[in-house]
Parts: sequence; C-alpha cells; structure tokens
Amino acid sequence: MHHRLLLRRRGAMPLPSPPQPAPRTPGVAGGRLFASLPSPPPLQSRREVHVWYLCPDELNDHSQLDMYKELLSPSERKNALAMNGPRLQKDAMLSRALLRTTLSRYTDAKIDPRSFEFKKNKFGKPEILWQSDGSSMEWPLHFNISHTSSLIACGIAMDTLIGIDVEEKKRKTVKNILSLARRYFTPSEVDYLAKISDSDAQQKEFIKLWTLKEAYVKALGRGFSGAPFNRFSNQLETNNRIQISKAAKVCNDSDSGCDYLSENWRFALAGLNSSYYMAVCIEDNSRGSENGSVPLGLKVWKTIPFIEDTLVSGTDAVKLIT
Amino acid sequence: MAAIAGSVVSFARPVKAVNVSPVPFAGLRKDNVAFRLHPVSQKFAVLCAAKKETVDKVCDIVRKQLVLPEGTEVSGASKFTDLGADSLDTVEIVMGLEEAFKITVEESSAQSIGTVEDAAELIDKLVEAK
Repeated sequence: MHHRLLLRRRGAMPLPSPPQPAPRTPGVAGGRLFASLPSPPPLQSRREVHVWYLCPDELNDHSQLDMYKELLSPSERKNALAMNGPRLQKDAMLSRALLRTTLSRYTDAKIDPRSFEFKKNKFGKPEILWQSDGSSMEWPLHFNISHTSSLIACGIAMDTLIGIDVEEKKRKTVKNILSLARRYFTPSEVDYLAKISDSDAQQKEFIKLWTLKEAYVKALGRGFSGAPFNRFSNQLETNNRIQISKAAKVCNDSDSGCDYLSENWRFALAGLNSSYYMAVCIEDNSRGSENGSVPLGLKVWKTIPFIEDTLVSGTDAVKLIT
Repeated sequence: MAAIAGSVVSFARPVKAVNVSPVPFAGLRKDNVAFRLHPVSQKFAVLCAAKKETVDKVCDIVRKQLVLPEGTEVSGASKFTDLGADSLDTVEIVMGLEEAFKITVEESSAQSIGTVEDAAELIDKLVEAK
C-alpha cells in the first residue's frame, strides 16, 4: 500500500511537473503534515503486533530531517546530540521521530507526534506518560524500539507488554560464538549451537537466539539482570514453535529472580529483507488448550514518515521463521 | 573533578561524594576546607574513584569492540550507549573485561554500568575483592 497518493490528492490544481524526479520533500508543513500520517489498520487483538521501520542511510534530505527533528522534545534533542558523532546523532533523532510518528498513527490521528510524553519504569524501560488530568484520551499502546546501524524498528502492541529486537544476520561478533554462548546462554542452547559445524550457519543460529532472548528481556522490561539469559532457554522447535522454558537446575522456586520467567510469552521470528532477523515477543495471558497454537499476528511496514508507507509483511521481504 | 582550594583531601579509600550535606567529612580539619559543602544535585568526585590504568584499559577494550574511528574521544565519562554500543556489544565488552582482569561480573552489576568510569570502578572493586 503506497500512501503517497494521499498527498497528491490534496488541492484541485495538479502540480507542475518538475524537470527531474522531485526530491522527497513534503509539500505541507506544520499541522497539516501531521494529518498526512494515515491510520493503519487497527491492531485486531492482543495477539497482533505491528512493526514500523526505517533505514537511516536512506534518509539524507536535510529538510526532511529537520522536519523529523521538530517532532522531538527538547530533552530528546539534547540526548540525540550527546551521541558520539553525526551518524549516531542522526540515528538517535530518527529513532524518536519514528516512535512519535508511529504512536500517533494508532490514536486515530487525534494525538500529534509532538505531544507524546514518556516516562521510565523503575528498570528504565520507556513507557507513554498519559496526562492524568483527563484532558487527553488514552490508548492502551505499548511499544518497544530496536536499532541496528542500518535499520530502526518500532513495535506496537495493544494492552500487552512487547519487546522487539532486530539484528543483522551477518553481524560478526568479536568474541567466539561458543564462548559467548557458554557465558550467556543455557547449556541446552550451547549444545544446540555446538552441534552446528558450519560457522556461518552457527553464527546465524546464534543471532536468532540472541534476538529472541533480547526481545523477551525487553518485553519483560526488567533489564538484563531481571532475566539473565542463562536462566531461560528459547528452543526453536521443529514444528516452528518457540518454547521458552526455565533452564533446568538453574532456577529453584525460592529464587525470586525467576518469578517473572513465566511461560506466558509468545514469540515471532522473521527474516527481514534477507539481511536481518527480527524477533518479537509479547505477553499472552490467554490460557487454554489453544495456548501456543495460534501464532502471533505480525504486520510490518517500511516507512518514510509523512512521505511513504509500504506494507512489507505478506511479501518476500518478511519471511516468518516461526 | 571539583577543585578544593588550598588543600588535598585524603580518605582511607576512594569515595565519590554525592548530595553532600553541609557536615565536614570525618578526618577533615575545618580550617583546611575553604568552603562549606552544600547539598548539590550534581555528582562530583573528591578523588578519582577508579584507577587511571583501569580506565585506560577499559577505554582500550571499548575501542576494539566498537571499532571506533581513530581519534574518537573515549574517556571515563563516556557513556556506552552514546558510543553506539548495543546490547550485544555490551555483553562482549563485559566479557572482554572479565578476561582482561580475571574477574566475573554479575548481570545485576553489569546493568548499572553506564560509563567507562562505572566499569572501571566495578573492576577495581572486584579485583580488590579477589
């Protein structure tokens, strides 16, 4: 779905054709700009996750970047500038712009991207801060952001905790894969990886496991130590389900650190654009016989906010692994 | 680091003073202190809490892990996230530190490391405790 058409329909007069392909600058500014974030199909249920991503390397138009910068709060702008170097600063800025524009889409265009305020839970996980004076509506939106150097993704879920992690498939670790796994993963996961003789394949499986575990920890929102990686196993089962289970002999019931490692979590793992693995994790409190058999619904859009949105799930760009 | 006019303040162990109340520290002679210590919201180190060699070694490991361009400034105050370290970088850095200093860093301690200085302080503490 290309929403660029929405911009062209405005105004009765056709635009004069430019001498060369027009740069992707918006023809509108300020408040009208905000209105050009089309509402996506709504999140159907708590089991549905929407992911919006952008590629910083493709966004180099200065007026576009200035427009995104304008959406940030003063403290967000300050934090972005504190990053080391122009590239990291741009990524930090785009990350906030992506978050704000994405959230705005899910409020029936009622909340301007600039209006959102955020707070951190006691472990540092960011959340939306809704005004408690009753002046604005609230939406039960949960979000999580993940960065790689070439892609920033924002996952959205309704009424449920969400974590997302994206990683380049070919990301090379400085440390040896098995030593990393031995230090941080569970014994069963180490065994799984150790059995893979081809080093490229092993590295890919490591990255898959890493993104799954990261997505879970981020959904939980208790920080890395709230759910140490070696206390839970993510098993990529042959029937394409991901099971999360407590590592045997590591948790005893009296260990309060394991209280949160419950098994009410649903995962999706997908290949994205053939270059990335993306893992999404949501809490799923629905119990019953169908627990685990209904897959998490995943929709993915690539976005250039205010300019173009492209639904990529359902195409080759998104290949579900589970 | 705050400059304390006209005197050197020494403590039994390095400490970092945060939100100091206007009460002189034990061991401090009143006439040595040129000013009253008022509660302030910013942190200041009365003495460097981490050893310089530790900070330097941490900077070195961080540079190697993050493949930072030549001339990138990395110092005690550098925040890992500001340098572009993501979670996988961070665990690799922690592992690198464990190997270099022959220590084990618990996840709960690792979580509170925000800057190079934080890491260096933790390392010094763990090394001393060995």
